Formats: sequence, C-alpha cells, structure tokens
Amino acid sequence: MFKYVLGRIGAMLLTLFLVMTLSFWVIRLMPMTIFENPEVSPEVQRRLEDRMHLHEPMIVQYYYFMKGIVTKGDFGTSVKIRPGLQVFDIIKERIPPTMLLNFFSLLISIPLRILSGTIAALKRNTWIDNVISFLIVIFISVPSFVFASLMQYVFAYAWPIFPTLYNAQAPTIWAAFRSMLLPIIALSLNPIATIARYLRGELIETLSSEYMLLARTKGLTRQEATWRHAFRNSLVPIANTIIPLITGIMGGSLVIEKIFAVPGEGGLLVDSILGGDHFLTVALLIFYSMISLVTIFVVDVSYGIIDPRIRIGGTK
Amino acid sequence: MTVYEPNNLPQELLNIPQGEFERANNDWRSDERFTTEPIGFYKDAFRRLCSNRMSMISMWAILIIIVLAIVVPNVTGYGYTEQNVKQKNLPSKVPLLEQIGIFDGTRVLTNIKKSSIEDPKRYPEGCIINVIREYKAGKQTVVDVKVDYYKYCGVADGEYHWMGTDYLGRDIMTRLFRGTRISLMIAALSVITNLIIGIIYGSIAGYYGGRIDMFLTHLAEVLDGLPYIVVTILFMLWLGSGMLSIVLALTVTGWIGTARLTRAQFYRFKRREYVLAARTLGVPDRKLIFRHILPNTVGPLITRAMIAVPGAIFSESFLAYIGLGIKPPQPSIGILLSEGQKVLLQYPNQTFFPALLISILMIAFNMLSNGLRDAMDPSRRGEE
Amino acid sequence: MSEISVNTPQTPQAEKVLEVRDLTINFRAYGGLVQAVRGVNFDLHRGETLAIVGESGSGKSVSIKTIMGILPNNAIIESGEILYDGMDLTKVDEAKMHEIRGHRIGLVFQDPLSALNPIMKVGKQIMEVLTRRGMSRQDAYQRALELMRDVGIPEAEKRIEQYPFQFSGGMRQRIVIAIALAGDPEILICDEPTTALDVTVQAKILELINQIKEERNLSVLFITHDLGVVAQMADRIAVMYAGRIVEMGTAEEIFFDPRHPYTWALLSSMPDLETYERLEAIPGTPPNMIHPPKGDAFAARNRYALKIDFKREPPMFRITETHMAATWLLHPSAPKVDMPEGLAARIARMKEAAKNVG
Repeated sequence: MFKYVLGRIGAMLLTLFLVMTLSFWVIRLMPMTIFENPEVSPEVQRRLEDRMHLHEPMIVQYYYFMKGIVTKGDFGTSVKIRPGLQVFDIIKERIPPTMLLNFFSLLISIPLRILSGTIAALKRNTWIDNVISFLIVIFISVPSFVFASLMQYVFAYAWPIFPTLYNAQAPTIWAAFRSMLLPIIALSLNPIATIARYLRGELIETLSSEYMLLARTKGLTRQEATWRHAFRNSLVPIANTIIPLITGIMGGSLVIEKIFAVPGEGGLLVDSILGGDHFLTVALLIFYSMISLVTIFVVDVSYGIIDPRIRIGGTK
Repeated sequence: MTVYEPNNLPQELLNIPQGEFERANNDWRSDERFTTEPIGFYKDAFRRLCSNRMSMISMWAILIIIVLAIVVPNVTGYGYTEQNVKQKNLPSKVPLLEQIGIFDGTRVLTNIKKSSIEDPKRYPEGCIINVIREYKAGKQTVVDVKVDYYKYCGVADGEYHWMGTDYLGRDIMTRLFRGTRISLMIAALSVITNLIIGIIYGSIAGYYGGRIDMFLTHLAEVLDGLPYIVVTILFMLWLGSGMLSIVLALTVTGWIGTARLTRAQFYRFKRREYVLAARTLGVPDRKLIFRHILPNTVGPLITRAMIAVPGAIFSESFLAYIGLGIKPPQPSIGILLSEGQKVLLQYPNQTFFPALLISILMIAFNMLSNGLRDAMDPSRRGEE
Repeated sequence: MSEISVNTPQTPQAEKVLEVRDLTINFRAYGGLVQAVRGVNFDLHRGETLAIVGESGSGKSVSIKTIMGILPNNAIIESGEILYDGMDLTKVDEAKMHEIRGHRIGLVFQDPLSALNPIMKVGKQIMEVLTRRGMSRQDAYQRALELMRDVGIPEAEKRIEQYPFQFSGGMRQRIVIAIALAGDPEILICDEPTTALDVTVQAKILELINQIKEERNLSVLFITHDLGVVAQMADRIAVMYAGRIVEMGTAEEIFFDPRHPYTWALLSSMPDLETYERLEAIPGTPPNMIHPPKGDAFAARNRYALKIDFKREPPMFRITETHMAATWLLHPSAPKVDMPEGLAARIARMKEAAKNVG
C-alpha cells in the first residue's frame, strides 16, 4: 500500500511539473508581448521586463518561473484584469464561491447518482428503468450550459422562483443558497447521469456474475446477496469514472459560473482568457490542474483501499 | 417414466412393422452441411442495429441535420456574414406558421410612452397589433404593445427570417446551419485525426511489445494525466482561434483512448494461432498488422469514434463559450450559443434554436453509439 | 401386464435422497422456446456419486440449476418435480429455498475464479454461510479454519485473511468446496468442478471430492462433459443428449457394456494411453433445440440409425436391473448391431486392466 501511494504521489508531481512546463512554454512562445501599454514609458517598460527576467535566455526564464512557483508560490502579477495585483491573491479571493458551488453539487448529486443507478439496475427492463435510462441519455447528451440557459430563462425569468444571477451579498444564508441552486443543478445533472449509467451497467453485470450465484447457493436471500456482494463490487470501478467527472465539473463550472455571474474561478478564467491576461490564465490553469490531480490522487488511494487487488499488488 | 423390458413389450411396440427397423442410409462420415446462410459479424451487427428503433431514429436525425447543414445556408438567400443594422434582433417568422399565431414575427414592447406610438416615424403604419396594457408611470402614460416587429423595423413584406436575426441583423438560420457544418467538420476532423494517430501508436505498442511498448505506454499515461481542459485551453492559447487550432487542441490528448484500445486488441489477437501461422509462413509485419490483426479492432473503434463525436461537438461549443472558439465572423453552434446567452432574457429565440439543435445532435449521436456498442458486442450475437 | 411402470432402477436398500421426475424446462429466447430439458428422470441415492455426462447444451447444467432454484429469469419449468425430503423443489418458495440452498444442498462451481467475490477475504466468504445460520463470529472463524484444513489448504490461519486473487486455481476450487461444505449439506452438486483447472490439479480436486464424500457420507451429483473424469468418481452414470437421458447405468455397465450409439460415440472419442487407433469424433453438431428433430434427436449424427429413428422417439428399454438405454436398437425387431470394433477392443483392454487391478 505504501509503495502504491508513493507511486501515485510521484505520478502526481510529474504531471504537475509537466503542466507548469507546458504552461510556461505556451505563454512564452505566443506571438505577443507581455506588456503592451502605450501609456507606460519605454523606460518603465524596460524595468518591468527586467524584473520579470524577460531579457534572459528562455531556459533561465523557465528556471525563474519554476523557482518562483515552488519557493514562493509566486505565479507573477496580473497585467490586464487587476493590473499589478499578485495573481495568487486574485485567485485566493475567488476560491469560496467555486468551492461552495462544487461542494453542494457533489453533496446533492452523490446520493442521487447511486440511487438512480441502483434502482435502474434492480428494476431492469421495467418502466422505471426505462424512464431513468431515458433521463440519463438526455442529461448526458445535452450540454450543461444549455441546461443552464434553459433553467435561467424558465425558472428565473419566465416563472421567477429563483434569482437570475448568483448573489454573493445575499442577506441570508437561505437567499444565498437560493441564488446558488440553479447553477448547482445545472452543474450536477451531467455527473448524476454519467455515474448512474455506469453504476447501472456495473450492477447488472455483477448481478449476473457467478459469485452472486454462489452467494445465493450459500443461502443468502437475493437482497442480502445484492447488498453484500453486488453493490460493493460495482462501486469499485465507479471510482475510475470520478476522475474525468471532477475535471468535467470544473470545465462545466467555467461556463456556468459565467452564465450565472458567479464570482468564482471559472468566471475569472474566462475573463482572463478574453482579456488576454496570460499570467492569470496560466496560474488558473495550474490551479485547476492541482485540484484535479489531488482528486485523482484521492480517488486512486481510496480505490486501493476498496480493492485489495490493488492494495496488495496482485496482478489481476 | 416408463421403462420397457425388451422381452416383454406392449403390443403397440411389437406392432411396428419390421421395415421400420432397417438401417437408415446414414453411414456417411462427413459433417452435416450447414443449411442456413452464414452471417458475417458486421452484417449481423448491422442487422441488430437496424432493429433498434432508437438507433434508427437517431441515425435519421443525424442524416437530416447533415443534409440541412449542407443545403440550408445556400437556400435562405442570406449570407452568414450579411449584416443589416436596421433589422437587428428580429423575432422568428415562418411562413404558414405565422397564420396560426406562432413564429409570426411579433413581439411585445413594454414601457413605451403612449404618445410615441402615434408617431408614424417611429412606429410605421400597421405595425402595432394591439395595446396590451396601459398604466401610469409617474406623469407619463405608458403602454405595453404587441407589434409586428418586421413592419416595425421596416422589413419588406415577404421577407422571412425563420429563426430571427442576431444583434448585427444576420439571419440566424443561415448562421446556425453554417455553424452546424463547421461544428460537424471540427468533430469529424478531430475524431479522424485521433483515430489515425491512436491506431498507429497503439499498433506499434501492441505489435512490438517489450521495451517499445513500455516506453510508449508510459508516455501516453503521462500525457493522459494532464487535465483535458487545461491542455485544450493551453493549446488554444498557443495556436490562436480557428478551426484547425480547435482540431489540433482536441487531438493533443484525444488520441490516447484509441491507442489504448488498439494496443489491448493487439495483445488479445497477436498470440492467436492464426496470426502465428501467418507469421511462420513469412508474412511481413505490415501485412500481419493490417490483414490479420487490425480488422478485429474495427468494431470497437467504430463505436469509440461514434462516442467521440458528441464529445468533440461539446468541446467546440465549450471553447466558443470561453472565447477560444472559431474566428469570427465564422459561426459555430458554440458561438451562436454564447452570443445568444448574452441576450437570453430579451431574445430567447437566439439561444433556443442553437440549443435545440445541439441537444438533438448530441442525443442522437449518443443514442446511435449506444446502439452501435450493443450491436457490436459479440457476446450479444444472436440476441434480439 | 407387459408394461412395468417403474422409476429408475434401484437396489431395494438404496435410499433416495433426491428424485427428479419428468423435468421439462424451456428457455424463452430470440426465435422461440429453447427446449433445454425434455423429461428427465433420475434418482440420487444416499452415499452414491451419480454422474451426469453430456456435451455442452445437453441440459445437464440447467437441471442442476433447477435443483438449486437459481434458474435465470427466462427459464420456465414446464412440468415435472424434484422431490427432496418430502418437498417438491420446483414449487418451494424462495424463503424456504434459502434454508435448503447451502444448508442441505451445496454447489461447487465450474470456474472458481469467477465464483468467488474478488474483493472479499476468502475467510469471510466461508463464514458468511455460517453466521447466517446464527453462529457467532468467533465460532464461525474457527469453523472456517477447520473447513479450510479439511479441504487441504495449508497454512489456513494465514490464508483465511487472503483474497481470492492470491490463490492458485486449485486452491480457489478448494475454497469453493469449503464454502459448499460450510452449511453441512447432505447433497453436494459439482458442476464441472475440474474443467477450468490444470490437468495436474484436476486429479487432486477429484480425490478431494471423493474423500470428503466418504468422510461425510455425502450424496454427490457430478456434472461433466468428460467421461474420463467420471471413471474414477461415479457409482452410476447418466448420459444426457439434447435434453434427455439416453442411457443410465452403473459405471461398470456404461464403460464395459454401453448400448446407446451416443454413448459409444462418447467413449470412442475419449483419449486414453493405450488407444492407437484414430479417435473417433462425433460427426455433426447437436440439434437446434428450438426445433428439436422428429424422432431420436441423435439420429442425424448416428451411424447406426434405423429408419424408425427419424420418425419416432425411442422409449427407454431396460437392459439389467440398473441399466437402461433409449435406443431402438434394443427393440427385438431391430437388426443386431455391434458397437464399433475399435471401441470393443478398447473395452476389452479396459476390462483386462480392471481385472489386473482388482
């Protein structure tokens, strides 16, 4: 187990390093100047550029870039969105809404995922299964931002039961939650459907497995066998699908934060891309990578805990 | 059950004529001939696919959308970049449907000074259909009126914008189907590129095995560890907007899945006796790969490619939303969606049509690929 | 009275633990009903091993799944009964069936790898049977250890905490046997227990099954497609073809005096060390059981088929008290047909060998 965890940490660090390197080169190879402000005198411009080592050879710049991040958490300064401010600080103050959004999304979607997938599998080929499966296809197929637009128009404008936009300064917790609900739902539909579909497939497969038969020949009732043998076993491969989902939620939340004007990282990233604030963009991308890598790490480790084949290091 | 003593049989059995007990002319040693026609795997899969109603509906939906994407931009009579400042944000107006009161090009204008509606310069004659509400706002008398927006903007009679126009007065239908064409092209191109790279990479890893395989697999694994969105955005930043950039950005890590699948199939089939037999006969590597091993991979690859199409369409619109899409004034479904989103509450029709189209397209592709996967699943051969 | 209505042959003292009567099972499938089992009759006597031999699709697995009450949903028990301890298992409700499964009838699966839950410790999988019957965890643990030793697993204390993937194929099968034994059943059903194993391991598992059968006075129902496996195991053998039993007798009778052409074919296709003649494959393929052929299902593949074989299904003819076969060749009007020469020579050799050993 220790070896396994160590391996995963190594993989995580390697990927992070790769992302940072890639970011650096992409930014520096772009055909543009970092500062392009006619109001700044050439001398000031030069001094600024000097401070950022822009006149050194690329490889040296790369060294400073990496060193800054690793030793001081220094991702550079914003140049367009909030000029002069440390990128790191801008990101920091935007964390709470994004976290809240994703946290609630997970909170409401996890039970729904498991429930709908399990019901569909156990009631296989009945109308319940058909309805769930149909909804699953819809929620998987239709992009989350289409749902976001639809819900915004229907539930906030045509039939105003929710606020149109996210309200960070809501007077009560309830009001704040209400303004968050639409983005949360928009964010959750796709993951719910994805996991439910996967769980349904896995459960159906394990339900027809030989060890389920054996469990029943042991004298376990169908329910006992399902719970003890099928359910837990089909949760194992689910862990795998969580990884793309987390990154998927992040991707979705970019657009959804924009649509509902959530003052989070997603909206910031979009703004920084549109505004051409490349230091901010890169820092945000690294931030996103870090979150997704940590998730992958957590999932991998918990995977190891559930599945003895990985923990003990067997072959199968 | 009844067991008979051979020397004590009932009359009925003894009455069987002696002739019945002659040897049947059954002394052949050959295997029986198959009387049924052999059905090939793909034929069988295709037959099963055809019997799946949802898949068929989806296939037709996709085909119709493709045809529309090719035809519509050429027949609307508007260019996709053709602007008309006077005809901004027109509602949708469809011949025939306008008679029954939907898509009739009307719109309710609210909060208008009552005095101004009598001014024929601002409200050309006949454009006001009725006054819905009249109320006081301060000293002014204000009204909500339903107007024929086409007349209001001075659009000539007989001119129709089925889906309305956008903020620059461009015909949305023309742009939508032109955009669909581009989105589909991006999807097709990126999927094909991914397939080609993936197959070559996976074949090399799978066929040669050993160190080459180890190196290639690890390389792919490292690349795969990079978060998809991050890599795509980085590459879009680097390459700049445009169709080819999107295709390339979607390819950076997109091929890995295909490569993995191909490699796995190679491992499954390269040790099979028929491949070994071919090799001992001196068949060259290239031929072994293309003739004997790759054909087994075709089924899963087709399914995979089908599943990748909606993914690519989604990615394209996602990129458009965050401002990294295709170069304006070229439209794409994503561009139209993100432009529509900006005026969603005022002019929902500008979001509605692209949203509907992308939803149908995504659902259809997902359904079709589900159907394909089921049809190609060899364990289900003969079912249904 | 020329017709004697008796059930399977039996020695008077043999006590029947399980009786299968006219069992008929169909499967709903694409294209129609598959007639998997078409009126099967057999008894299992206390303390004996009855082997059911047949190629895949002959209905042997379906029969035992019916006994265990674990038929898939698309199976229909058309008619027949399975009598056990005064109950008809085809009609027993699910609640009662739990009592019987595991506790009174144990099942050993074909593939031990897929039969064990991959993410549960083997000890726990054995204990599950015991704790369900109200045994305390400590007792169950001790009992599981005992069982593991009984089935010949070395270092049981260590192994009990391990997962299936840490066991070899043979050891896994021993675990499955231990699970089957945990409920202390009186009937053990083995569904091709050695098919998925290496040849060297096969013999050991067979030996183990024989040994525990003796120790616990079990009645064993042994399903296999391999007559060779049966030789060292079975007291009686039933040969199945296309959903019917075509010949049944003691092991000696089936091996030394087979009467049904299908049994001949099976024996001829069985490899052994002394046979230098070409092994005889059985021509053709088993019939499509959605539309079983008229008459004898084996007729089309039978070198010795009579005209009547294509018209009317042969009834069961008694040969000895314990031996019977369903073939028109046993009808008094039938021409005298001898078994293939190669087979006759082979049987002679086997008899010789048996005499020398005995």
